[in-house]
Amino acid sequence: MTDTTQDTATQPPVTTAADALKRQSPWRRLLRDKAAVVAGTFLILVVLAAIFAPLLTPFDPYDTNMRMRLKPPDDVHILGTDTGGRDILTRLLYGTRTTLMIGVSAVIMGGFIGALLGILAAFYRRLDNPIMRLVDVLLSFPSILFGLAIAAVLGPGVDSLLAALTVSAVPSVARITRGAATVVMQQDFMEAGRAVGVSDFTLIWRYLTLNCLSTIMVYLTLQFGQTILLGAALSFLGLGAQPPTAELGTMAAEGRNFLFFAPHVSTLPSVTIFAIVLAANVLGDALRDVLDPRLRQ
Amino acid sequence: MTRHIIERLLISVPVLFGVLLIGFLLLQVVPTDPATVLAGPTASAEDVARIRESMGLNEPVWYQFLIYIGRVLQGDLGRSFISNTTVLSELGATIVPTIELMIASLIWAVPLGILLGTLAAVRRGGVLDRAIMAFSVAGVSMPIFWFGLMLIQYVGFKWQLLPFQGRAGPLWTIDGLTHIALPAITLGGIFVGPVARMTRTSVLEVLGADFVRTARAKGVGEGRVIMRHALRNALIPIVTLVGLQIGFLLGGAVVTETMFAWPGVGRLAVGAIVSSDFPLAQGAILVLALSFLAVNLAVDVLYAYLDPRVGRA
Repeated sequence: MTDTTQDTATQPPVTTAADALKRQSPWRRLLRDKAAVVAGTFLILVVLAAIFAPLLTPFDPYDTNMRMRLKPPDDVHILGTDTGGRDILTRLLYGTRTTLMIGVSAVIMGGFIGALLGILAAFYRRLDNPIMRLVDVLLSFPSILFGLAIAAVLGPGVDSLLAALTVSAVPSVARITRGAATVVMQQDFMEAGRAVGVSDFTLIWRYLTLNCLSTIMVYLTLQFGQTILLGAALSFLGLGAQPPTAELGTMAAEGRNFLFFAPHVSTLPSVTIFAIVLAANVLGDALRDVLDPRLRQ
Repeated sequence: MTRHIIERLLISVPVLFGVLLIGFLLLQVVPTDPATVLAGPTASAEDVARIRESMGLNEPVWYQFLIYIGRVLQGDLGRSFISNTTVLSELGATIVPTIELMIASLIWAVPLGILLGTLAAVRRGGVLDRAIMAFSVAGVSMPIFWFGLMLIQYVGFKWQLLPFQGRAGPLWTIDGLTHIALPAITLGGIFVGPVARMTRTSVLEVLGADFVRTARAKGVGEGRVIMRHALRNALIPIVTLVGLQIGFLLGGAVVTETMFAWPGVGRLAVGAIVSSDFPLAQGAILVLALSFLAVNLAVDVLYAYLDPRVGRA
C-alpha cells in the first residue's frame, strides 16, 4: 500500500495546460474568478460593516421619534426613516449584524452536529445505520416545518429561530460529510494509521475530519445563503426575531403596512438580504468548483 | 421495486411518529389546564376533577400520547382556542386553496424552468447560458417576500392591474383567476431558478450520452435530438428532483399565503402560532407534515417506477 503513495509522490511533473491549472493553488484559481472575487469582497465589507456598526453611524437603532416617521432619504437620514422614525441606514447596519449572527451561529452549530454525525457514521460501521436513518427522518421534514413547529412549542423569538435553523442544517450536512468521509475511509493511510496503533480520536480528527474539511466548508458556504433566507422568511412571518429588534426580515415585515407611501422601509432590508445571499451563493458555487467539484451533483 | 417501496414506507413510520410527537408536545405546552377551560368558570372543583379523569389527564404522559394518537386516527384534532370550532373543520376549508395555489404556481413555473434549462444546456458556455444561469442564481437568492412585495407595490397598487388580497372563488371564474394570479406568480417565481438549474445539469448529462451521439451520427436533426432523445431522457431526473423540492415550495407557500391573505393551511398555521392557538397550530402542522410525507412517498414510488435501476440499487 505504501507503493501507491510513493508512486504519486515521485511522478514526473505533468505539462498539459489543464493539469497546470489543476496544480495551481485553489486560492489562486479562485482569484481568477471575477464574480467570486466581487462576491467575496462584498461579503467581507458587509461583515466589517456589521461588526463596526456603532462606529459607522451616529444614530441609535432603537431611538424612536414619532415626528420623524417614514421620512424619505435626506441629508441627515441618508436612507430615510422607518415606522418609528428610526434611521434606516443605522437599522440596516444593526439588522445585518443580527441576521448574520443568527445565520452564522446556526450554520456553525448545525454544521458541527451534522459533520460529527456524518464522521461517526462513516468511521464506526455499526453507527452508520442508526445515524443515517435518523438523518433520513430529519430530511423528510421541510425546513419551514421545523420553523413552524419550534416557534409553536417554544414561542416565537430568536431562540426558536436559532434552534429551527440549526436543526434544518443538520441532516444535509451529515449526509454530505458521510459521503466524503466514506471515500477517505477507503484510503490506505486510514488502514496504516490503525495498524501502527493510532488512537481512534487521532484517526477521526487528524486522518479523517481534516481530510473532509474542504468538502464540509464548501457545503456550509452554500448552506449559509439558504439559512439566511429561511431565517429572514420566518422573521418576516413574525415567528423569528420580534419587533423592535433590528433584524432584516423583521424590518421588511414592519414596513409592509406602509408599502404604498413609503416602499423604501421594507424594500431596503429585502435588498440587503438578497445581496448577502446572492454573494454567499456565488462565492459558494465558485469555492465548490475550485475545491470540490464532486459536490456539483 | 416492491422492496424499494416497502423500505420507503418503513422510513415513514418513525417520521410519522415524530410528527405526532410534535403535535402532542404542542398540546402539552398549553399554559392553561384544558380541563379547567372545558369546565368553564362556574364549575366546581369536583366537576373539574371529573373532567380531568374523563379526558385522561391523570394518566401518565406516555399513555396520554397513545390516547392522542388514537384521537388523531379518528380525525379528532381538538377545538380552536379562539373560534371554538373544531380544528378539522377549520383545516378542511384551507386545504383546497393551498392545493390550488401550488398547482397554479407549478403549472407555469416548471415548464418555463425546463425550457430555460434546456436552452442553457444546448447553448452551453454561450451568452444565453450565462444569462440564464445568472438569472437562476439570482432567483435562488431572492427572499420570496421581496418578490411578492414588489408585485403588490407595482402590479397591485401602482398600476392597479390585479387584486392582491384574498381568494375570490373557484379557479374557473374570472375573479378567482385574477385573485390567484399574483400569489401564483410569486410562488412560481422562486421555483423557476432551481428547475432551470436542475434541467440544465440533467440535459447536459444526457447530451453526452452514447445514444445521443448515435442519433447525431445517423443524421437525426438537432431539434429532434434535443426534443426526442435528450429532453425525454432527462425528464425522469427532472420530474423527481422537482418533486423532492416540494418542501422548498411549501416554505414559499407559507410566506405567499400570509402576504396575500390567501386562505390556505400555511397562513392558518402562522396565524395560529402567532396567536398561541395551540390546538389549531398542532392541526395545521400535522396536516402540512403529513401531506408533505405523502407527496414525497409518491414521488419516490414514481421515480422507482420510471427508472427501474433505482429499485435494484
